[in-house]
Amino acid sequence: MSILAIDTATQVSSVAVADEGRLLAELTMQGKLTHSETLLPHIEQVLKMAAVAKEDLTGIAISNGPGSFTGLRIGLAAAKAMSYVLNIPLVGVSTLQALAYQLPVPGVRLMCLLDAQKGNAYVESYRWENSSLQVVEPVKVAKISEIVAECANISEPVILLGDAVQKKIVGKMELPANVSTAMPHIVMPRAACTAMLGQAKLLAGEKDNVMDLEPVYIRRSEAEVLWEKRHPEEASVPPRP
Amino acid sequence: MEKKKEELLTLAIESSCDETSAAVLRGGREILANIISTQIPIHQKFGGVVPEIASRKHIVNIMPVIDECLRTAGVELKDIDQVAVTYGPGLVGALLVGVSAAKSLAFSLGKPLIGVNHLEGHIFANFLAAPDLEPPFMALVVSGGHTALVDVQGYNRFRMMGQTRDDAAGEAFDKIARVMGLPYPGGPRIDALAKEGDPMAIDFPQALTEKGNYEFSFSGLKSAVLNYINSEKMKGHELNKADIAASFQRSVIEVLVGKAFQAVKEAGRDTLVLAGGVAANSGLEARLREEAEKRGVRFLYPSKILCTDNAAMIGCRGYYQALDGGYSDLYLNAVPGLSLTDK
Repeated sequence: MSILAIDTATQVSSVAVADEGRLLAELTMQGKLTHSETLLPHIEQVLKMAAVAKEDLTGIAISNGPGSFTGLRIGLAAAKAMSYVLNIPLVGVSTLQALAYQLPVPGVRLMCLLDAQKGNAYVESYRWENSSLQVVEPVKVAKISEIVAECANISEPVILLGDAVQKKIVGKMELPANVSTAMPHIVMPRAACTAMLGQAKLLAGEKDNVMDLEPVYIRRSEAEVLWEKRHPEEASVPPRP
Repeated sequence: MEKKKEELLTLAIESSCDETSAAVLRGGREILANIISTQIPIHQKFGGVVPEIASRKHIVNIMPVIDECLRTAGVELKDIDQVAVTYGPGLVGALLVGVSAAKSLAFSLGKPLIGVNHLEGHIFANFLAAPDLEPPFMALVVSGGHTALVDVQGYNRFRMMGQTRDDAAGEAFDKIARVMGLPYPGGPRIDALAKEGDPMAIDFPQALTEKGNYEFSFSGLKSAVLNYINSEKMKGHELNKADIAASFQRSVIEVLVGKAFQAVKEAGRDTLVLAGGVAANSGLEARLREEAEKRGVRFLYPSKILCTDNAAMIGCRGYYQALDGGYSDLYLNAVPGLSLTDK
């Protein structure tokens, strides 16, 4: 089985091809061009590099958020169309989980932060237990400065990962003594991790519906939030699509 | 074995604003399916299209719309010869869903991709509406964001006579409808109200009416109507919305009609076509028809369904563009500010 994995959740564009338990090729870059321009050419290239014909793919894994709304939709639209044409299963993988998957270190709290704008991040924390990645605190949106400060209360070393760590805000902060940031080459999401996690899901028989799969936005659009503030009486019927 | 060009199957995708649409065409003019999923009811409570919500609906709707389109057309994916998609103008987030899906479809099928200008698509809707229509002809494009006169000299040869300097006619319609408290989308509401009002009741300005000027400007008219409404409110007068709608609409229509027939005459054309979302305006259509009859000019406009944003017109434009080698590569990007230019 050969699967294609796609991650366009942040400014990193990453695509990978893997067969069972083996990474065949990966193309990961932070360049000047947009995902919209480069994603398909990158998919074409990575398949060539891996010497896998698209017709021989047996599944597609998509890093499905949270992250940049537009980036997620570019990746998902491409993944859906490909899964539909090639008639192969599509599976969504948490972008936060894929980040934590980069650092299989026991005894450490992995704090994954993806940029949620205006000094906020989508944050989820993980821990490796008996070689399996466990969620400690499920995803929420919080101020980056508060997330980092609160790490001081965690009774083990903490490593920060994710595009929010690349932002100036973390660089300027004085980190608590038990907190460090992941090295630049693993701080951002990579499709290799999406591929491995997706493969495990597909092997377990999990797959998503190519017709109606949506990105995991966590947040609703600002227009909806604002509208509900102005119409509290109607807010009890959530218009969430 | 190479297919004849009349047998080519084009799969087309359109997602530039609040409609998700997919179509299959055989040759350039035969619509096998044209599926449109509209989001109008979803945006209504916000008083206009919310870009982020539109994008979220597109990513949910895109595959079911494509799937339904292929089933309705009775066509299998492997039979598709090329993929056409709107790459602009429009809302960037909305465009990107269609562009990304189309690129992936083309790549996965191993078939060529054709990036289509949405406004050219509106003009080409007329080829679907009138099977015998051939260039050359004059096109009056009136859509939400654009007003333009285009001399269509060939399928891939356009000369811009002039376009809007500021607000498009459609924008003025939407803004005035909002100020009068009419629900979104405002254009059809003004059109309906105008029928009950007196078009001569209020004298609103018409801009750039000098002969030989094919540019449009509706911002002055928009301001004049808004000022009139405000001053009436200040005076405590009850607004005669029907008269305002009728008088405003008359100003817009007279400008459009005057310039369109001047352009027809200057370019020596015998046919005028109307294109774009505002083509569904019955007052405009009636005046153009009346004037065309008087002058012995053939006047065409697409059916209501082909006036709205739909993928069939994108497929039609894509087909003719491809005959001239107008393909795109996989680096195609959305261009939200794409305009009409000479070709």
